[in-house]
Amino acid sequence: MIANPIVLILVVLSVVVTIFVAYYSRRWMTSTAEFYVAGRKISWMQNGIALVGDYLSAASFLGVAGAIALAGIDRIWIGIGFFGGYMAVLMMIAGPLRNVGTYTVADALYKRFKWAPIKIAVMLSTIVISVFYLVPQILGAGILFELVLGWDFKVVTIAAGVLMGAYIVLGGMRATTYNQIIQGILLWGVMVFVVVLVLFVVFDGSFVKLFDIMSMTVPPDVAAKAGEKVKAATQLESLAAIQSVRGALPEAPSAMSPGILTPTVIAQLSTVLALVFGTAGLPHILIRFYTVPTAADAKKSVAVVLMAIGLFYIAAIFMGFMSMYLLYPQLLDWILAKKVGLATNMPVLLTSKLMGGDFLMGIAAAGAVAAMLSTAAGLLIATSSSITRDLYASFINKNASEKDEIRIARITTATMSVIAIMIALVLRGENVAWLVTLAFGMAASALFPALACTLWWKRFTRQAAVAGIVTGLTVASLFIILHLSGVKSFLGLTVVGSPGIYSITASFLAILIVTTFTKDSGDVDNFFALAHAEEK
Amino acid sequence: MAESTKVVMSGSGDPNRYRSRLLTSFGFFLVFFVFYVGVAILVTPPFKEIAGIPLAGIPLGLVLSLMIFPVSWGLAYLYFKVWR
Repeated sequence: MIANPIVLILVVLSVVVTIFVAYYSRRWMTSTAEFYVAGRKISWMQNGIALVGDYLSAASFLGVAGAIALAGIDRIWIGIGFFGGYMAVLMMIAGPLRNVGTYTVADALYKRFKWAPIKIAVMLSTIVISVFYLVPQILGAGILFELVLGWDFKVVTIAAGVLMGAYIVLGGMRATTYNQIIQGILLWGVMVFVVVLVLFVVFDGSFVKLFDIMSMTVPPDVAAKAGEKVKAATQLESLAAIQSVRGALPEAPSAMSPGILTPTVIAQLSTVLALVFGTAGLPHILIRFYTVPTAADAKKSVAVVLMAIGLFYIAAIFMGFMSMYLLYPQLLDWILAKKVGLATNMPVLLTSKLMGGDFLMGIAAAGAVAAMLSTAAGLLIATSSSITRDLYASFINKNASEKDEIRIARITTATMSVIAIMIALVLRGENVAWLVTLAFGMAASALFPALACTLWWKRFTRQAAVAGIVTGLTVASLFIILHLSGVKSFLGLTVVGSPGIYSITASFLAILIVTTFTKDSGDVDNFFALAHAEEK
Repeated sequence: MAESTKVVMSGSGDPNRYRSRLLTSFGFFLVFFVFYVGVAILVTPPFKEIAGIPLAGIPLGLVLSLMIFPVSWGLAYLYFKVWR
């Protein structure tokens, strides 16, 4: 069932552009350096914008505003958390990583320690993290378009998986980069444009007016707990509905009351640590720094991302509050009817429709598709690069030619696409945003500690690197399994949704202990001279 | 290793530069991290009374949370200024 032909046309158009860019990029696919890192010829500005497309997934484009529209101020940290990660990337990782790495994250660690188990450990972590992040992107596309447009879940899921696999197979990192640039501009532009439009058309350009209304609004998530008492409000206009619910629940907290729906201190800390350190351990983000010519370019591209995603998340936060006002009766109705998926994913699209009709909604839907495809493509190329370089070319066929490597990378990409589609079809009922948070938790625990220590700590040893990676991955996996099994406490530790607080700590502890008792710090002098070389 | 050797021979392995970068990077990140985690904890239930104190009609928790963006941009700007 196709609910809206204009939306369909715009979404299909955006997909056609994606395919065209991939087809056009084939001409550069002449070497492994082209396939993996676009020949290192991407400018810092292009890389910065591509990173925006790479990083902003559906969870950012639809989920942040959706969550705030339902719960108010207590959900703004979803957006702020995602933003904070780039400070760690800028200050600790981007520059030195660009100096020492070649194609994959494992390359950087291997350059210092020259020890094969490190490649295997990093590759396995890359695969686990990327699958945890990749599946929700494909899953999100299927769920979103089934909910929003009535399209068939299986068809959309398979189409999304095939499409992103196809454009990497065709055009490698260069096609991925150009598509991420287009998609980054689209989804950033849509979010900022709609927010500015609503601000001036509905709130006369005044944030004070918005906050005044929010301070008397009972968030739909809170109001819905009153059930029948507030049901009549779903038939009213927005402002009347807000006033009606406030009249029925005079003591209820408002959308501006902090600390009502936020998690416990431990849960909040765990999520925040996972987000701030997880970004610096996400393979698809890290390999983007190899696509620019120098370390200075890598850091300049992070500065572009910091500015762009900062503005994006500020816009998303305001979009959430604006949507709560504009869509209040509808959101309340959905929550009362237990249609949480619609209530969470629809606010950005419906607000766009209110402001610009089907055309603007179609553009926003294309933005949502762009968010999923660009992130998924980045993950897919990071995984295929790691399997090809760190496993195939390092262990299976050490004499592999460039042609062999590209062929294996293409086969790996296609295989990973099929695997991700199959997992997405199986995990249909899972919470997309939670799966993404888990990926951040795993990246923060498995890769970030070992990578940061490799780049900055001279005493750090190869055994400690493997110990940190294995411990981080194991403890994160253990706490995820415990949480899924409904266990509330383990060894006196409260089990929370994100494993970060325990797994990051465990990884660093393992690194400290093993470093104390081992001595092999690798090729320290040459490695540090290269990692911290003069930047021009 | 040819690339690494070339860098050392050209005098790029300056220990003072490494120490200066270590202090700059981790110093700036620490300032950001303390502010970031502090605000994240402020908006949790045990501190909701403090987070709810109005500042120009807006709760302190929201003001400080939104301040993370300009504070981060400012720190990033200073980081680029002092980096060598």
